[in-house]
Amino acid sequence: MALNANMKILVVDDMATMRKIIKNMLGQIGFKNITEADDGATAWPMIENALQTNEPYQFIVSDWNMPQMTGLELLKKVRATEQTQKLPFLMITAEAEQGNVVIAVKAGVSNFIVKPFSAQVLKEKIDKIFN
Amino acid sequence: MSLINDPSMREIVIDFCDESIELFNQLEEGLEILEEDPTRSEELEKFGQLIDRVMGAAKSIGADEIATFCELGKVIGYKSSQSTDTALLEVVIAILFDSVELLRKMVNQIKTGNEQGLKSLNTQAFGTRLSWLSEKFKDIERASCAVEPQSKNLSQTSIDDLMSSLGL
Repeated sequence: MALNANMKILVVDDMATMRKIIKNMLGQIGFKNITEADDGATAWPMIENALQTNEPYQFIVSDWNMPQMTGLELLKKVRATEQTQKLPFLMITAEAEQGNVVIAVKAGVSNFIVKPFSAQVLKEKIDKIFN
Repeated sequence: MSLINDPSMREIVIDFCDESIELFNQLEEGLEILEEDPTRSEELEKFGQLIDRVMGAAKSIGADEIATFCELGKVIGYKSSQSTDTALLEVVIAILFDSVELLRKMVNQIKTGNEQGLKSLNTQAFGTRLSWLSEKFKDIERASCAVEPQSKNLSQTSIDDLMSSLGL
């Protein structure tokens, strides 16, 4: 999938500050079409609705640790659904334990990023996913 | 330059402070439940989850001391939730109350831009106390949202290497 500024991106994090920081960074990288969700449980219906309206999300940036539906559970739902099984999915976490990384990779994560990170690191990850 | 020192990012820093203070209120509500009944281990686990949110955002804006405190609070919350030693749990709850109070003061100092005030909070001594407490639970493995007992944290570079070796 080609990388473009209007790519439809969904940022999922239960901390509003983090969503702002990530949106800000994505904006710095050049992306313009960014939507937010405050939990995996909020994000999943948004992903489903976007599919139904034929305007699917093209990239998910999600935190791991969220209260109702974790990033891992969201990833598993995305991968288990035919229309979204190849949807690029970047997982964010405040701490990365080796076992978690392996589990996320097995679940089909596209890449993994550890807080704190800069816009440059985020861009590198995105480039790696899309190129 | 970290966000905390970047004037153009002041709005995000203020948002972080406001959101953290709201989460501190929730942390204190949970601790009050635990004060009544220290065996409510699910509240300690919830403490770990809530403080993890502040930790991630604090790291991201460059509020390193707050992030370190939150990290210790998170480890203590998760680990103590697996303990049945009521006497120790009572100590944990008291120290976590103090931690939240200190975190609140630290965040307020950031919000008001009073760096001198932050330095006067004597956070180092309290950090030592938290580290001492986390040591009490060193035999309990699960310290985070890890879905498997596993404690080895990786740097971004190590993750990149690991992901390469896994074919990504």
